[in-house]
Amino acid sequence: MTEANGAAAVPGENFTRVPFALFSDPATFARERDALFRGPTWNYLGLAVEIPNPGDYLLGYVGDVQVVVNRTPAGGIAAFENSCAHRGAQLVRRTRGNAAQHAHTCPYHQWRFDTAGALLSVPQEHGVKGKGGMPVDFDKRRHGLRTLRVETYKGLIFGTFAPEVPSLYDYLGPKIRPEIDRIFDRPVVVLGHWRQAIPANWKLYLENVKDPYHASLLHLYHTTFGIYRATMSGRVIMDDTCGHSVLRTADIGENPTEMKALYKDIDKYRPDYKLKDPSLFDTKPDYDDRVTNMIMTVFPNLMLGQVASTFQTRHVRPKGVDSFELYWTYLGFASDDAAAREGRLRQANFVGPAGYISLEDGEAGRLVQRGTHGLNDRASVVEMGGHGAIADQDTLATEVAVRGFWKRYHELMRAAV
Amino acid sequence: MNDRAKAAPTPAGSLNSDPALGADMRTAIERFLIEYARCLDEDRLEAWPDFFLADACYQVLSRENVEHGLPAPIIYHYSRGMIEDRVTSLRDALTYEPVYTRHMVSNVYVVGVEAGVYRVTSNYAVYHTTVEGRTDLYSVGRYDDAIVVRDGQLKFKTRTVIADTFAIKNNMALPL
Ligand code: FES
Ligand SMILES: [Fe+2]
Repeated sequence: MTEANGAAAVPGENFTRVPFALFSDPATFARERDALFRGPTWNYLGLAVEIPNPGDYLLGYVGDVQVVVNRTPAGGIAAFENSCAHRGAQLVRRTRGNAAQHAHTCPYHQWRFDTAGALLSVPQEHGVKGKGGMPVDFDKRRHGLRTLRVETYKGLIFGTFAPEVPSLYDYLGPKIRPEIDRIFDRPVVVLGHWRQAIPANWKLYLENVKDPYHASLLHLYHTTFGIYRATMSGRVIMDDTCGHSVLRTADIGENPTEMKALYKDIDKYRPDYKLKDPSLFDTKPDYDDRVTNMIMTVFPNLMLGQVASTFQTRHVRPKGVDSFELYWTYLGFASDDAAAREGRLRQANFVGPAGYISLEDGEAGRLVQRGTHGLNDRASVVEMGGHGAIADQDTLATEVAVRGFWKRYHELMRAAV
Repeated sequence: MNDRAKAAPTPAGSLNSDPALGADMRTAIERFLIEYARCLDEDRLEAWPDFFLADACYQVLSRENVEHGLPAPIIYHYSRGMIEDRVTSLRDALTYEPVYTRHMVSNVYVVGVEAGVYRVTSNYAVYHTTVEGRTDLYSVGRYDDAIVVRDGQLKFKTRTVIADTFAIKNNMALPL
């Protein structure tokens, strides 16, 4: 099932066994760059509201490759690798800004590009004092920046390097789009960004957010205070490829006695625990569906999340085989009044690098990276929810979406060999 | 275009050389900042809330957000009760890596005093040391404080931590 050679390690037994080598093998990491991030996937680049004006730009990532995302003079969005067409220097150095005269100039030899990536000018193209310069057959039209195909859905910007990938609309599909519609049907505002440098393979974060089983056990803070309990009604759904998923939790149909029985052996669970200042829970729900917790993932590495009254995108940016940046974009709604806005800032205490819930997911990544290190002959056991068909389930006691991730991952990795 | 990262605003004017502040008060403020650091480094978390007024605000902000004028805090504990709740959570509920911490506090600068509120800034560097004795620089940045004297003791009315290290090393369970 597993192989000593990590590069050849593949998930086995109907995706219930995940070789530890997949989290530490450098050859696997290199192949992911081509098979996943440059492969037939749409990669999250940012939000349209972050670059509202012509000339605005932000830096995004496709895998570990930096890209520049631009608002063009015509109001469209264009993206290119942040790597000069001349000798590859990093072109744009700030994480966001506005390009003067709608152009980016490379700091090294001052080649100049427009916001769609076309090469505008090359200093000394025709030499100096009649000597040197580019050869006569040098054609600026053939030396633009390498661009991505860009599409948006409800203000989320995605890019792809693959010519054959279907439209973003179809890529998301009918089971994922409604979750985006639910949140992005009103104008959003960006309240801030957070970054976490997590010492773990990027896929461990994907496993984490596709695993509702851990949420009521690792995160005792939100279990105790009712944001999330194993007894809440929950549902795990996946798209046809099983690569995208939605985990939703709603506080309906609960029975407190059942809760006591479920947690009888867990010391960390403290029903007697009371907050000295519970005012951060005083927010009005944003929807009447009683959903307290939702986490959606778009394959390969975007999350859209709701925890109580907080809404965020989380982008997993690989930085090497054993580390990634978790890049959060914390959202509010343009329609928020002062109290709603203050409530969202208060509930930042739940999520982000120091959030009572989210900080533990960083630790979970570190624990598994540390714990699997050097054990290339072992694999994890992913059987919660059964080892049969990978299909939607009406329970939170399941790891089925983790298996779905590995199924899609394996399909793309295998196809690229 | 000046392409250097924009410096965070440094408040102008200082009472450090102003005889009105008094050497005793300067010493007391420095001592207070050091006591805070010692409290955290000695893992006396239960005493940490005592540095704050009942209606104090303890915040940790990312320098990136501050410079872009974005309000989302990393930590936003706007009452002493919430500060105490973090201690209880750290002791009883949260799962995070056990580390030793070491705070270095320097460049203490009394910006001014108004209506009994001392505005003070200082720099910090916090190191984390693992249970196997490996040390990493965890975070550097600045404290912006509003300090008052209450019943003969110094207390934080507000303590705002602005982290230059805004790519937080894994997570931030323990306060800075
Ligand atoms: S590398 Fe960009 S102009 Fe030479
Ligand atoms: Fe989690």
